[in-house]
Amino acid sequence: MNELRKSFHTELDHVKSELVRLAASVTESISRATQILLDQDLEGAEYIILGDDEIDARTLDVEEECYQILALQAPVASDLRAIVGALRMSAEIERSADLVVNICKASRRIYGHELDPKLRGIISKMGEQAQVLFGHAIDAYVEMDEAKAASIDDMDSYLDGLQKQFIQAIFESHAAGNVDLQVAVQLAVVARFYERIGDHAVNIGERVRFMVTGWVPEHDGAARHRARQAVDLTPVGGIPVVKSSVSLDTSVRPFTPPDERI
Amino acid sequence: MTTECDQKASMSDQESITNFTVPAVAEETVAPLSDRGETVFALEDVSVFYSAFKAVREVNIGVRANEITAFIGPSGCGKSTVLRCLNRMNDLIPGARVEGKVYFYGTDLYGSDVSATEVRRHIGMVFQKPNPFPKSIYDNVAFGPRVNGVKKKDELDHLVEKSLKGAALWDEVKDRLKTSALGMSGGQQQRLCIARAIAVEPSVILMDEPCSALDPIATARIEDLMREIKSRFTIVIVTHNMQQAARVSDRTAFFTTEINPASDRRTGVLVEYAPTKQIFSHPSDIRTEQYVTGRFG
Repeated sequence: MNELRKSFHTELDHVKSELVRLAASVTESISRATQILLDQDLEGAEYIILGDDEIDARTLDVEEECYQILALQAPVASDLRAIVGALRMSAEIERSADLVVNICKASRRIYGHELDPKLRGIISKMGEQAQVLFGHAIDAYVEMDEAKAASIDDMDSYLDGLQKQFIQAIFESHAAGNVDLQVAVQLAVVARFYERIGDHAVNIGERVRFMVTGWVPEHDGAARHRARQAVDLTPVGGIPVVKSSVSLDTSVRPFTPPDERI
Repeated sequence: MTTECDQKASMSDQESITNFTVPAVAEETVAPLSDRGETVFALEDVSVFYSAFKAVREVNIGVRANEITAFIGPSGCGKSTVLRCLNRMNDLIPGARVEGKVYFYGTDLYGSDVSATEVRRHIGMVFQKPNPFPKSIYDNVAFGPRVNGVKKKDELDHLVEKSLKGAALWDEVKDRLKTSALGMSGGQQQRLCIARAIAVEPSVILMDEPCSALDPIATARIEDLMREIKSRFTIVIVTHNMQQAARVSDRTAFFTTEINPASDRRTGVLVEYAPTKQIFSHPSDIRTEQYVTGRFG
């Protein structure tokens, strides 16, 4: 049977290819940002910071395209998962680009301070690993490879380990009087940026798994939660029990700053 | 050989009707939506009456070349009535009367010197129910060209093949062109009707609910076909199926009904006419929003 709704499928393909292009440019910018940080390249930092506006604009365009497809084409089944997944993935990519910008901004703040070779070595490794993870996530998306997508979570633990090593190295460098406190704090934050880029790559992998199978890892936790609730309705997980006489005012919530926005 | 008699006949034809100058449209080059400015139909304050009853009032619309324009709205909102104004099909209804102006490439369609038959030669129509003639597939498609004076067999063969290919039907029927069109499936019959309409090379095809008698697969085929042929034709479609308008059209006109307090009768009114993506993502009129979201209708 001939393919029906070709133009709709072409639109779906376009969303995917544009997301892949965006993710590829973020992947490339990770290594550039690392080099900028190590070389204290202020001009390069400026270039990446300005370039983020383009990433933002293109992300908005892709999201607009997704909205149009949802509004006009009523996608179902794998097409629906592809569009919902793409919408969520676009946010991951855009946020990762912001983190790359943050690395560049931090490099401006530590301008003029020498970093010792150990710190430089770990920064280099973190940059490489974040790039590998992101590249892996795009490959998984391009190939719709569920196994590859699932492996990103395991690969991320190496990056998490590097971050811990780096924090330790900062302490040591600070104690030896090689970096002052202000620089040490900036470096700790940079390590966090790399680690978060890795997390976003993991999230992209999860979106790919969702597109292929309709399953995300949170489903396991949700299933455990429902199983517990079937036996005992007492809330677990640190959520305070509200006495029935007290009404819960949902409009007032303690403000929790998003952990990655620094 | 053209005889003197033929020449005379064509001369008198030209005298009695307005000769439309329909600009040739490049087959492959389709400009993006915003760049296509050519107006095929311009409706200015068009109201249609069935005797004393005002069916639809003061419609102002510009239909652009090589676009698919969809008319949507609840029953009785006047969308089919307005569509039928575009090739003077309302002339066939006793008591029907059109006020306002309908311009087709700048020519007043309801001008006293305009022949309705000539209008329909340029503006073809496809109806809700597939209506093939009880003839062979070949004769259905060749019908229009024959009426227009095409007699040579090879010329007719070529036209039939081209039209059936244009309607994405050729591969399915090329081995049974001489069999009855009534033996085809509903979806095939509707595509045959489209082939019959395009065989006379009109510049516009009007479609009045062309898929409402078809199953979803046949519907998708017709929708694909519409997208394929819009580079050569301008299409105006009336549909009850909002999703169909969303899927295929470039621009959408939303009509609704309003009650006339004096007569307590419903008159159709154009609410909003905009690019389809706007109608279905952020319409500017609250009535459109309520209709497309299913809160009214």
